[in-house]
Amino acid sequence: MIRFENVSKSYGDSLILNDLNFTIEEGEFTVLIGPSGCGKTTTLKSINRLIEPDRGKIYVDEKDISQVDRIRLRRSIGYVIQQIGLFPNMTVEQNICVVPKLMKYPKDRNDQIAREMLDLVGMPYEDYAHKYPSELSGGQQQRIGVLRALAASPPIVLMDEPFGALDPMTRAILQDEVRRLQKKLNKTIVFVTHDMDEALIMADKIIFMNEGGILQMASPEDMLENPADELIVSFMGRRAKGMESAPQTAADFMRTDVHTTYINRGIREAVDKMARRKVDTLLVKNLDETYAGTVSVKSIKRVDKEIRKIEPLVRNTNVWSYIDEDAQECFEKLLSGDDSYLVVLNRDNTIAGIVTKTSMAKSLADAVWGDSQ
Amino acid sequence: MIRFFELYGVRLVNAIGTHFFYVVVSVSIAFMVAMTLGILLSRAPRWANIMIPVLSVFQTVPGIVFIGILFLYLGMVPLTVITALAIYAVFPILKNTYVGIIEVPSQYKEAAKGCGMSQFQALFRVEIPLALPTIISGLRMSTVYTVSWAVLAAMIGLGGLGELIYAGVSSNNSALILGGAIPAALMAVLFSQLIDGLRKLLIPKPLRRDVK
Repeated sequence: MIRFENVSKSYGDSLILNDLNFTIEEGEFTVLIGPSGCGKTTTLKSINRLIEPDRGKIYVDEKDISQVDRIRLRRSIGYVIQQIGLFPNMTVEQNICVVPKLMKYPKDRNDQIAREMLDLVGMPYEDYAHKYPSELSGGQQQRIGVLRALAASPPIVLMDEPFGALDPMTRAILQDEVRRLQKKLNKTIVFVTHDMDEALIMADKIIFMNEGGILQMASPEDMLENPADELIVSFMGRRAKGMESAPQTAADFMRTDVHTTYINRGIREAVDKMARRKVDTLLVKNLDETYAGTVSVKSIKRVDKEIRKIEPLVRNTNVWSYIDEDAQECFEKLLSGDDSYLVVLNRDNTIAGIVTKTSMAKSLADAVWGDSQ
Repeated sequence: MIRFFELYGVRLVNAIGTHFFYVVVSVSIAFMVAMTLGILLSRAPRWANIMIPVLSVFQTVPGIVFIGILFLYLGMVPLTVITALAIYAVFPILKNTYVGIIEVPSQYKEAAKGCGMSQFQALFRVEIPLALPTIISGLRMSTVYTVSWAVLAAMIGLGGLGELIYAGVSSNNSALILGGAIPAALMAVLFSQLIDGLRKLLIPKPLRRDVK
């Protein structure tokens, strides 16, 4: 548990931390977020005494850390920095074991730690232990950076924008990994970021800071539902406003990769196409490209052998809407009927696409939690 | 050629031995002094801004003048030569040690601190190892210079390869001049190679690219 009591810090005339009070519970993933200069990094660094506050007290597990030897304190708290900071003169194994070695663990225990740690992130010991950081990709380097912080099993880990320098793909993978590790090892993590997406994905609790103070401290859901300040709303962008800026018309969330056929085609051809595309209905077009209806595999099964063409089987009963119709109306049409999708037509009655229940759910999820992760 | 060795062989071997001795001893002393000073200065960069320019002025005093002055105080003993050479050898190593440590990127210093290293541990486990390529290139520079400066030892009659060169110059014997100069040049190359070997031994491969 980490507790800040009336913590203030200033550099010259500028107040960096202004009377901070908050508590971070054990096993909680807390994200500090805010615009640059809001004091989030200063807050983080005062937990391992890289920065000393001018006033106020910080308690870790009920101990006033200003009374704890700062070197001992730092060894008991994991620390991951943005620039990764793996020591280039040490191998992966040596980097992982930096803190255990400082704490004078016996050598065989260090070996075991290196193996266990690499195992946690699925990097085989034999392949990686003796490589130097410069021989690894950015993502691998930051994995090792995280492992170095975890190696001496500290209950608390501080992370200062750890994924800021990584490409979006790698970042997403590492976010998952760190979240998984945190749950598995039950660590208390304090994580600084300026990326609201990251905060919403990672956090149990978000502390939103501005000008050295806390604007809001809440779970991601609460913050999305009731942002306490305009600044928070602007950080969350369209996610906070929910449906207001969500897709407005059918065009915004329809799928365009639809399977069509012409009304004069044979049944065999239609069945064959359904089989190849793994679908059970096809959209049927008239010869002038306008929408004629749908044909389903069920209706084909029931049919007499004499019929060769699909034309008699085409039904125009499926729900449909025009492409510029309101999204909400489309959803209602789709939800009120039994059809599994809604056909979207252009104003000239040609086929534009379909809206499935899945794509509807996905667009709603995007509106609530941000773009699909 | 054979005649040269018959005539001067013993003298040459002695001269090489003495020369080698001067270089190794003075560079070793200089290295220890320079490392210590360089590390201390890196802890107090404010001092470094005064010290380093002052020391670099020292460096511009010609060797002959310096050996001459020391000769007046210390007399004709090897200590005079070694002191003079060591003082000259200090500066390149000192400067490179200081710069090497100061220029260790801040993220490594922060990581070392954040991992719970004491100042001392951060220095010996992170900062010096990372500054080592720069420090060693300073060492090489000092050593190669010292090989040539040691020639001046003969000026106050203290032997070394300079003795052959001076003797050759005063007797107009070009064989003797070359007999002193060529071994001195070879010695410089040899030391340079030795230090390269040291560099390979001490610096892990991925760090070697930085400094040539």
